Amino acid sequence: MLEDDDAPPELVDVSTLPVEQDAVEEPAQSRVPITIVTGYLGAGKTTLLNYILTEKHGKKIAVIMNEFGDSTDIEKPLTVNQDGQEVTEWMEVGNGCICCSVKDTGVMALESLMGRRGTFDYILLETTGLADPGNIAPIFWMDESLGSSIYLDGIVTLVDAKNISKLLDEPSPEETVHDDHDDHRHDSPTLSMAHMQISHADVIILNKADLVSETELEAVRDRISAINGVARVHVTDHSKTPQIEGVVLDLHAYDAVDFDITKGHSHIDPAISTISITHAPISSSQVPAVDAWLRSVLWECTLPNSPQDKPPRFDIHRLKGLLVVPDGPDKIIQAVREIFEIREAQASSESRECKIVLIGRGLGEAEVWQRSFDECLQASLE
Amino acid sequence: MAEVATRKCIGVDCEKDAGSLQCPTCLKMGTDSFFCSQDCFKRSWSEHKAIHKTKSNILSNLFPPKVVSEPDPATGLYNPFPTFQYTGSLRPVYPLSTRRPVPKTIPHPDYAKDGIPRSEQKYFGRNNIKILNKEEQEGMRKVCRLAREVLDIAAREAKPGVTTDYIDEVVHKACLERDSYPSPLNYMHFPKSVCTSVNETICHGIPDQRPLEDGDIINIDVTLYHNGFHGDINETYYVGDNAKANPDAVRVVETSRECLDKSIELVKPGMLFRDPGNVIEKHAKSRNCSVVKSYCGHGINQLFHTDPNIPHYGKNKAVGTAKPGMCFTIEPMINLGTHRDRTWPDDWTSTTADGALSAQFEHTLLVTEDGVEVLTARLPDSPGGPIPMPVATQN
Repeated sequence: MLEDDDAPPELVDVSTLPVEQDAVEEPAQSRVPITIVTGYLGAGKTTLLNYILTEKHGKKIAVIMNEFGDSTDIEKPLTVNQDGQEVTEWMEVGNGCICCSVKDTGVMALESLMGRRGTFDYILLETTGLADPGNIAPIFWMDESLGSSIYLDGIVTLVDAKNISKLLDEPSPEETVHDDHDDHRHDSPTLSMAHMQISHADVIILNKADLVSETELEAVRDRISAINGVARVHVTDHSKTPQIEGVVLDLHAYDAVDFDITKGHSHIDPAISTISITHAPISSSQVPAVDAWLRSVLWECTLPNSPQDKPPRFDIHRLKGLLVVPDGPDKIIQAVREIFEIREAQASSESRECKIVLIGRGLGEAEVWQRSFDECLQASLE
Repeated sequence: MAEVATRKCIGVDCEKDAGSLQCPTCLKMGTDSFFCSQDCFKRSWSEHKAIHKTKSNILSNLFPPKVVSEPDPATGLYNPFPTFQYTGSLRPVYPLSTRRPVPKTIPHPDYAKDGIPRSEQKYFGRNNIKILNKEEQEGMRKVCRLAREVLDIAAREAKPGVTTDYIDEVVHKACLERDSYPSPLNYMHFPKSVCTSVNETICHGIPDQRPLEDGDIINIDVTLYHNGFHGDINETYYVGDNAKANPDAVRVVETSRECLDKSIELVKPGMLFRDPGNVIEKHAKSRNCSVVKSYCGHGINQLFHTDPNIPHYGKNKAVGTAKPGMCFTIEPMINLGTHRDRTWPDDWTSTTADGALSAQFEHTLLVTEDGVEVLTARLPDSPGGPIPMPVATQN
């Protein structure tokens, strides 16, 4: 790019550049939340992002309207809104060494851009219509000790109230999710990318509500809650969200847990469901047993202590949990696909029972999961 | 946060002290230009921007300049990135020697031709780590033994006055003599047959014309591709007696060696790939050293780099469990100062962000039915090896 000869650029405060921080112990630094926005073509993603970019919210928000993880481009556009003004920045995504590097080049490009041009209040990443958010979320859900200047805030999925049922039931071939590891699944229900986008969502914006009747809207709402019973659902038309913060931004979906599970209708969707299991408070010595149970379920796709009626094959897309531990700090569990962590809850929970919510494919009956979990914890006491 | 020394503002007719505000264009070009304020910068802009012109042209923002400094007329040697803000005293000494050929009779990996490891970029499905059968395990055993031999040959040459390019030549020849392709050559366009990482270099140093000095430490990272398998190994060596007499050098080298040894003790079926990092970080901290986070251990077999990813830092979310027949490396990089790294404009050489020393050790490991086989284990006559920690730092 040519530099602008007419106006001087903003000076850079080098004392805030990440590379200049050099203590062995990490200094605390403010981190910028990134929200992943998914949804089919026509669901209203661009309208929503334009709405956010033009609304006067007093925040500096960067929007990346492009797919990440595509290594063919060396520069990616990024639109920044501040005080109602839009500026396009270009991120240089180098094609540096990928071998044994832990950070995605896109993450490094964002970090370096913020280092040069100053930080943002929020970053929004728009994915292409057919992107699987379960593949994108891990890129940004980085280990805290990597000290990245960005963190994953959550996933927002836009759903077109008028078309979603058709997309779920009759996906076109390119909208169908193909299994990578087994072919003997001809009998299982078809899985569409729309399923993936709903099952991974922390917030679902049910858009174009004005185009359907009350009854149709309720049916769609039930269907969505049956797939993902923990995502917050907001009904809108023309992608107009009443407020941005807490709805699209500041979700804290990966560093806190809140679940009000929408009850009932668990068999409405044939492919994906949400189930929850509960348990009395546990002792801190039982936390490793929970860890082992999660490893089996998430890494090996095996339900431990296999009861005879266990689900034959399952995939978990998203899992959240709260462990109430009277003799230690409470713990929260977060997982997307096979990646999970158990970490200390920031505040002691008001809840007096442990709870784990799972969203995934082929989960079957909740009782089977409950029994398996109970038995693992029981065994840890013996 | 880093200390910022007192500097004068370079704004026109400005006598004030400058803080930490820098012109972004100069920063990008690697030149220092500090201002006291945005206003002063604005006032000086028309004059200041002329500096950019003298140092760059339109293309320099797009492509890093290939050659900007004048070669030394006597030797022809030069620093290819004279404006880069190096973090320590080490400089690249170019020109690099021309690419060393590998005879067609030796099987090449797929990237040898165009630099792109396509076979590694295939998607293998989630959490799908290759289990090697007996024959494949034998292939790994063979190539790892050869890699050890080549590393030992190279290490015997690491003496004051010897250039890293000469070590590259030695490694290259030793690989060919063993009917092996030197795996680093043209991997993602890496220009040489071995990585040589001196002093503050963390890893991926490119062999060049700099002679080793008494007091240096050097990591030599060798990988061979033989009969369809890659074997990967590295060690850090003291160059001359001055290095061994430097308590800090000994502390970082020996700590790194011990971190690898301690993490290998964990390896057996059932080990979680997230666990070595906890052990490595704990030990490094006990020696007041830090662990590099940007680079991980990796699966290795018919592919140079594949799943699993094994971070060397603690509290990581790495997925997966070791099972018999899996092959992977553990290769902790340990620094005296900050764990942060900065890459040279050659896009390879990774150095510590504060210029302090860094050391690394690596083995290729095979998980057996009841433990681990260190495929690249030292031989009775292998050069290098542990030396006593200096007494002063043991307190």
